[in-house]
Amino acid sequence: MMGRIAWKLLPAAPALIVLFAWWVYWTIVQPPPSVIPSILDVVRTGAELAFGGRLAGDIVASMGRLLGGVAFGMVTGMIAGFIAGLWRPVADFFNPLVVFFNAISGIVWLPLVIGWLGVGNALATFLIWNTVFFIIFQNTVLGIQLVPEVLEQGVRSLGGGRWETIRSVTLPGALPYILSGVRSGLGFGWRALIAAELVGATTGLGQLIFSGSEYHRADIIIFGALLIGAIAMLMDRWLLAPIERRTVVRWGLVAASRGR
Amino acid sequence: MSADKIVVSGFRHFFQSDSGRVQATGEIDVTIREGEVVTLVGPSGCGKTTLLKAIAGFITPSEGQILCDGKPVRGPGRERGVVFQELAILPWRTVRKNIAHGLEIAHVPKAERDRTVERLIGLMSLNGFEDRYPHELSGGMRQRVAVARTWAADPDVILMDEPFAAVDAMTRLTLQEELGRLCATTHKTVFFITHSVEEAVFLGDRVLVMTKRPGTIKAMLDVPRPGKGGRDWDSFTGDPEMRAISEQVMHLVHAERV
Ligand SMILES: Nc1ncnc2c1ncn2[C@@H]1O[C@H](COP(=O)(O)OP(=O)(O)OP(=O)(O)O)[C@@H](O)[C@H]1O
Ligand SMILES: [Mg+2]
Repeated sequence: MMGRIAWKLLPAAPALIVLFAWWVYWTIVQPPPSVIPSILDVVRTGAELAFGGRLAGDIVASMGRLLGGVAFGMVTGMIAGFIAGLWRPVADFFNPLVVFFNAISGIVWLPLVIGWLGVGNALATFLIWNTVFFIIFQNTVLGIQLVPEVLEQGVRSLGGGRWETIRSVTLPGALPYILSGVRSGLGFGWRALIAAELVGATTGLGQLIFSGSEYHRADIIIFGALLIGAIAMLMDRWLLAPIERRTVVRWGLVAASRGR
Repeated sequence: MSADKIVVSGFRHFFQSDSGRVQATGEIDVTIREGEVVTLVGPSGCGKTTLLKAIAGFITPSEGQILCDGKPVRGPGRERGVVFQELAILPWRTVRKNIAHGLEIAHVPKAERDRTVERLIGLMSLNGFEDRYPHELSGGMRQRVAVARTWAADPDVILMDEPFAAVDAMTRLTLQEELGRLCATTHKTVFFITHSVEEAVFLGDRVLVMTKRPGTIKAMLDVPRPGKGGRDWDSFTGDPEMRAISEQVMHLVHAERV
């Protein structure tokens, strides 16, 4: 019984260790708050922001941009990934392009894209899409290529045509890789989002952090970082993990992360 | 005399890969008549699976041709069901959904689909596992699902590649008797690959023996047809004629040890 509870709390342990180390360091060294604030400062700042009214709007704005950009990147990445995964020549044709553009960070395009799209939500969407698309694309292609051929052959000798094999074999077979792409895509999507909000937004967590850096408010910066990490973790747990439990884990394609 | 169902003539196959060209089979001529069970034994790597996949339509022969009902085979089709050597049932479908898949594809009404699935689940002793996913089954049970899935789709020709290899010895005996009975009653044309000489003689109306790679058909032995209702192992093992045929096949196979 004790063992089970300890096991359940294990994911929280690293956070507690870091908080403890932070507290010890801060108590012993007493650094200036603009370098490393105390835990208490950060909590107080967080509460002020939360009740001062600004925070909720920032979170909503950021989440909206993130989900929009990630959804756009996912849909286009999966469609392109399926086309390339199913038709070898298409993959051979596009692969060099994908490698080429994947290497170029969204920041490089920024000056150009600001000119084309302005500095609104379109810019954030583009920057997020620019990271998410490639991750999803490459995972989808890989996932499709790794589906055992014999599964497809089985369905074809049951009388299934092209569409039936795609629907009943390729799509579920590639799902573990697609979901893993979605997971990394969400993470990198956050990174792109904050970059986009630093330059091209008036609201959002990126702007919150930017305002903190302008006034040398380390407490705001750290609070913002903690908030982003926490939201990302919750999204993973409540959005992605349940999907995985119902699909790839249920089917035995991916081992359950903890013994059941 | 029944009609020729599958005719393989002048078949030879080479695989081309980065490490060079491999000759998988020598020249093979085989005719399988309608309603006949032909079993094939031969050493590992001699080209049995290659021949089966060519008949199934997944391999285009390098040389020669394959006819099914007089028409050249150009690809897979539902009239030729396949039980693969590797497991080919879908991990994301339950036992029931896997077995029903062929019927779903053929747009068979749900009520009839359910009846067929029920019958095969009983036949393959999968009762109680209808709504399980394949990873929750034993290796032998999964293989039984694969056989049931192919059988449910009701193809004219069934191509089986060592379907019982992963099944325990006890279950295997039952499945072999079951298969024998099914073949005898449904009049299906069956091509059955196995490593087991006894299995080949027990199930086959004819037993083909292949040489080692690149394999050709080395011998063809007729096995007297069992009476109505197929064979059972008790009478099979006690039958001196069957024993003689088994020994003969055994000798032929032994000479080809790799
Ligand atoms: N896709 C492939 N590419 C290259 N060589 C292959 C391929 N498939 C089979 N071969 C070669 O062809 C030969 C015949 O293979 P095949 O699978 O038909 O053998 P088999 O008789 O079914 O053997 P086993 O009893 O072990 O299943 C083997 O030597 C194998 O190395
Ligand atoms: Mg084989």
